[in-house]
Amino acid sequence: MVALPLALISYGQAVLLGLLQGVTELFPISSLGHSVIVPQLLGWDIHQNDSFFITFLVATHLATALVLLAFFRRDWARILRGLGRSLRNREIGDDSDARLGWLLVVGTVPAGLLGLLLEHALRGLFASGSSAAFFLMLNGFMLYGAERLRRRAPAAEEGESDERIAGRVSWRDALGVGAAQAIALIPGFSRSGATMGGGLLVGLSNEDSARFAFLLATPIIGAAALLKLPELLGSSGNGVRGPALVGSLCSALTAYLAVRFLMRYFETNRLTPFAVYCVVAGAATSLYFAL
Amino acid sequence: MSDNRWTVIAACIAGVLLIVIAIVYFAEPAKSLPGFFPGHEAGSSHHHVKHGIAALLLGIGAFVLAWFQSGPRRVEA
Repeated sequence: MVALPLALISYGQAVLLGLLQGVTELFPISSLGHSVIVPQLLGWDIHQNDSFFITFLVATHLATALVLLAFFRRDWARILRGLGRSLRNREIGDDSDARLGWLLVVGTVPAGLLGLLLEHALRGLFASGSSAAFFLMLNGFMLYGAERLRRRAPAAEEGESDERIAGRVSWRDALGVGAAQAIALIPGFSRSGATMGGGLLVGLSNEDSARFAFLLATPIIGAAALLKLPELLGSSGNGVRGPALVGSLCSALTAYLAVRFLMRYFETNRLTPFAVYCVVAGAATSLYFAL
Repeated sequence: MSDNRWTVIAACIAGVLLIVIAIVYFAEPAKSLPGFFPGHEAGSSHHHVKHGIAALLLGIGAFVLAWFQSGPRRVEA
């Protein structure tokens, strides 16, 4: 009789983790933090540094990036045309699409470099549920701080959102906001929270900073996932490809709903509910893990 | 020589150096990297691909900077 290998992640777990990933990647509440805390809370034998779990996360992240790319496809087409125009003309000038494109490049490079160089070390340092819970609480305070700044941010100006972003964000601002994404390498801190907060800090409205955050998210999440795709297709993916596919579909569904919801939500609303959630959930799980 | 010209030359030199560094990271295992390279480790056959990608990105960035800096200057009205 041939013994069947034990499933590393069950399909039920894949569904729950996939649904969670899609929401938490785009809501400013830390997807990595939740992927550390939730399995531990539910008593699952799944840990952030398990190679099969990293492979699973690669698949769900790729799904999220593809959803973002599809959602903003017209914007990306415009931005890419702008980048092409600027390279052809060897100047950016008043071309807001070109400027936004290069702002996204400038914002993505530092996060990409920091991610490439620090990811492994940080993943080993802060892999426990208790540290993720603590940083989730700090993420809540970071969001609240950004919310306080939002009140002082200028009212939305006339014109298209992308023109406002291109007009207001300087190269240095883009570098800073982009680098802020690297904080999400620490489980508990949110990448989108950091970029939205950074956007508010440089004077964008809440709506524009959310849009800038989602545009910045696409290349960095996609590149990180593509870089690790060989692990999913190689031997690390053995026994996890089925659940990874199911998890990715679930992740894609909730990511789509999340980005649709958030783009409307931030037209008129604030970061406060997410801040409260992070502080309460972080404090409660810290207490739970400590007892 | 104008400041602009110096920026272009410096960016091109930096771009070439960074791309050479990227190739070294891609091609050589950690034990064969020059001692002053981050990631050098005696006896290790691990390839630091991520270091290579980082150097390549910076190299491309340097060339993009040189490309824009060497473009025709716009005459302000």
